[in-house]
Amino acid sequence: MLRVSLFIICVFLAAGLDAAEIAESLVRIEATSQEPNYKAPWSPGEVSSGVGAGFIVQGDRILTNAHVVSNARFLTVSKEGDPKPYSAKVMYVAHDCDLAMLAVDNAEFFNGTTALELGDIPAIESGVSVYGYPIGGKRLSVTRGIVSRIDFQTYSHSGMDSHLTIQIDAAINPGNSGGPVMQKGKVVGVAFQGYSGDVAQNVGYMIPTPVVRRFLKDVEDGKYDRYVDLALTYHNLSNPAARKALGLPADDAGVMVDTVYGGGPSDGIIHPGDVLLRIEGLRIASDGTIDLDGGSVPLTEVVERKFRGDSAMLDILRVGASRQVKIPLGDAWPFALQSKAYDEKPQFVVFGGLVFQPVDKNFMDAYKPGNLRLDYLFDFFVEDGIYRDRPQLVVLSNILPDSVNAYAKDFLFSVVDEINGQKIHRISDVASAFEKASDYYVIKMLGVGRPLVLERKAVEEARSRILQRYGVTSEHYLKK
Amino acid sequence: MIRQIVTLLSLAPLLTFAAPKQLINHPYAAAEPSPSPLDEPQNTGSQGSRMVAENSILRVNSTNQAYDFFQPWLKKSPVSRRGVGVLVQGGCVLVTAELVMNSNFVELEKATTAEKSSATVERVDYDCNLALLRPSDPGFLEGMKPLTLEKSLRVGNEAAVLQLEPNGEIAQTIGQITSISVGAYPLENLGLLQYKFRVPLQQRDSSFTLPAVSDGRLVGLLMRFDARSQSADLISTPVIRHFLDSPAQARFPRMGLSFSALRDPQFRRFIGLTEPGGIYVNEVSPHGSAAEAGIKRGDVLLALDGHAIDQDGNYDDPNFGRVLFSHLTNTVAKLGSEVTFTIFRNGKLIEIPAVMRAPDRSHVVSDVQLADQPPDYIVLGGLVFLELSRPYLQEWGNDWVNAAPKRLVYYDAFQNELPEGRGKIVILAQVLPTPETLGYEDLQNLVVTEVNGKRVQSLSELAEALKKPLKGFQKIEFEEDPKTIFLDAASIEANQKALIERYSLPALQRL
Repeated sequence: MLRVSLFIICVFLAAGLDAAEIAESLVRIEATSQEPNYKAPWSPGEVSSGVGAGFIVQGDRILTNAHVVSNARFLTVSKEGDPKPYSAKVMYVAHDCDLAMLAVDNAEFFNGTTALELGDIPAIESGVSVYGYPIGGKRLSVTRGIVSRIDFQTYSHSGMDSHLTIQIDAAINPGNSGGPVMQKGKVVGVAFQGYSGDVAQNVGYMIPTPVVRRFLKDVEDGKYDRYVDLALTYHNLSNPAARKALGLPADDAGVMVDTVYGGGPSDGIIHPGDVLLRIEGLRIASDGTIDLDGGSVPLTEVVERKFRGDSAMLDILRVGASRQVKIPLGDAWPFALQSKAYDEKPQFVVFGGLVFQPVDKNFMDAYKPGNLRLDYLFDFFVEDGIYRDRPQLVVLSNILPDSVNAYAKDFLFSVVDEINGQKIHRISDVASAFEKASDYYVIKMLGVGRPLVLERKAVEEARSRILQRYGVTSEHYLKK
Repeated sequence: MIRQIVTLLSLAPLLTFAAPKQLINHPYAAAEPSPSPLDEPQNTGSQGSRMVAENSILRVNSTNQAYDFFQPWLKKSPVSRRGVGVLVQGGCVLVTAELVMNSNFVELEKATTAEKSSATVERVDYDCNLALLRPSDPGFLEGMKPLTLEKSLRVGNEAAVLQLEPNGEIAQTIGQITSISVGAYPLENLGLLQYKFRVPLQQRDSSFTLPAVSDGRLVGLLMRFDARSQSADLISTPVIRHFLDSPAQARFPRMGLSFSALRDPQFRRFIGLTEPGGIYVNEVSPHGSAAEAGIKRGDVLLALDGHAIDQDGNYDDPNFGRVLFSHLTNTVAKLGSEVTFTIFRNGKLIEIPAVMRAPDRSHVVSDVQLADQPPDYIVLGGLVFLELSRPYLQEWGNDWVNAAPKRLVYYDAFQNELPEGRGKIVILAQVLPTPETLGYEDLQNLVVTEVNGKRVQSLSELAEALKKPLKGFQKIEFEEDPKTIFLDAASIEANQKALIERYSLPALQRL
């Protein structure tokens, strides 16, 4: 995706630093990464390499996108005008907002560089310049455009998280990732995603500085804690009859809570049916927006700017009576199953040539099972509270054909419910169930009447034969 | 089991593609690249079939109009289907149910004289895809001769498929039976005996239902044809026989169980099965024949009425070879008759008699097909409510399993696993925006749980619940977000006429 090289180009800029100075803070990042193969989870995966952009910030650190350094095994960085590559390492990576911070082992790297400063949210229609190494040539490229839109967008790196995003009409192409978007000599965003030309023209996105600042603040304590969430859903209260029925004035304020996710921060504090009137003192309009920094944004923006351990005050109306509640913010872990994961080795168990794996987004993308029951359990994992009973969905994901498992095909992509009477809640339960000696291993699948049965004798006899034949280097990996 | 096969619809409207005249009377012409001389001796069997057939087949034209489940108060545009029907005993013409599905008008036409009579659908059974038509003119079929049914067939037997040319000539194409097995019929999920038939059919008009004959007897009715592989599925004679012999309204009996093959020797040893063959009962659906007889999950069915069942579920049929045991229970057995299973349970052999029952429709959550009946609906101030059904999901097109709303697809697919007494699934299908639905315009395909505090498990329960608004509000609760909405009951009442006029609705409900 990211394929670039560099050189200085002098571009006139209206104010502040000129292009040459900005170029001194630009970093070319070369990443060698290894993406795990979910279809052969014991394999370390294929090695590939890519190049992206980054920029130097205060404290001799480099900022870039998480997707530039995901699954990286080896990283080098180089500066404008200096052909020498320096080895670098990832200090912090935030996959939920596509940002990463790198450090360089050799402090000399930063000699003669300037740390860029972060600016604020640029005004709509104001001009910006995008720095990076996009396709179309080897040298540094600068493109200019204006701020087209400021809105919430899904960050495609995780596929699940959405944060404030700024759309610009400057060309952003593969290779721009991680590069700074400048206005008046300050960084106003980090270029990170866009549409391909056959979907939309001149639509590029950058991560705005509130998101970047939040990331920098989060890691101040030496670790990245991820975003926090209320873990609830709500709907608008614009229907006059609904307002009357709930005893609300016709002032167009408040939203109604639909679902409060079990185990989430609001669980037990907010009830379905509650009306949310204010968050941190800010009035919530009937479409769920609040006025913040002179703009209208979803009420979740308040939570977006908070950190683990913070809390949020909410004014609510419950059965006609108003009250104030305090929510200690945390994350809603079940959603993690539905986001793309990086820098993780896939978990699995191989037994009798049967491969068992927990289901997550990476798994579904790799296998595309097309099994209606599995699709249901995955799609409605959070919504229907399936996680309460099964923190992991473990499936028979693959069969390494051998006489011991010659009749197991019908069970492919079934969710394992029980092994020898032991309930399977997570992949480690599968490993422990198979460790207990038994003449027969009886594997019960969800929604399948007939169990899958393996004889211990047959499994033992086939064990080394299967491992050797299929090059299985390890029979399980259970760490998360 | 279910193969992707193009329906005969694709053969239908191509008048101009009718085969050249000189080929018509030659049974092999269509199959051979160079026509053989006309004086070559013909297969006497097909010659015989032609003689009889001329006097036993009719052209059937049906104009069909299905309901639009997205706008259940409307019908879709009419389509014409043409086929060839067969006169059977009792003065009726036998066709596939698909030919006359949702029919508005049916017409019989004599092949050579083009004499016509309108007809009524006397009986239709979508389980077996068969229908009987009776001409309105009682003397219309006089002088014609009913066909009798072929009783026994083997793989390799030949038969002639009869098509009608525009001028009334019969075009015969000889084909061969390549397999006889229990397979899915297109309109219901019921597996019944069918013949796979390899036949090089020409594209001709009137091809929606085609009879196949041999030695002057009916072998089956074509219900599907795949032009690429030139393979057809025939409704088999035992199924036709069962349909003709059953009283009107009677449905085909079913066991109401699902099973697995018992090929895996590890599994056979695990359950201690030493007898040969047998199949493993996976699920027994409540209220079905198997459940009422006391057959349980985990039973091994070894034999049925003395016929040994092999490890794949087949028995040796004297007339058709190896076919699935369900042919005996679903087709050979009549409703109410008794069959006896030899069952291996907990290490012992036992005999269990089962009385064959038809499935109880009152327990169906999502109907598989709703032909010939207008769908029920309720429009409340612009909110359109329906009961979930397969035809509703099929409105999303051939890829409805992936394209239709997921929760509804899952409800339909896993309806047998819902708690007993779940009833129908009432959905808010869409919203016709009105002043009363302000803020609700985007709601669609939501499963209704309660209305005004009452559980709703059918549209009639919904209608009842709507009669009692709570403090002047209609309170509607859903399984998905938004969980609860309110509407102003008085305002809805007052604006009913405006709603009817705004969207040209014939009525605000049909129950």
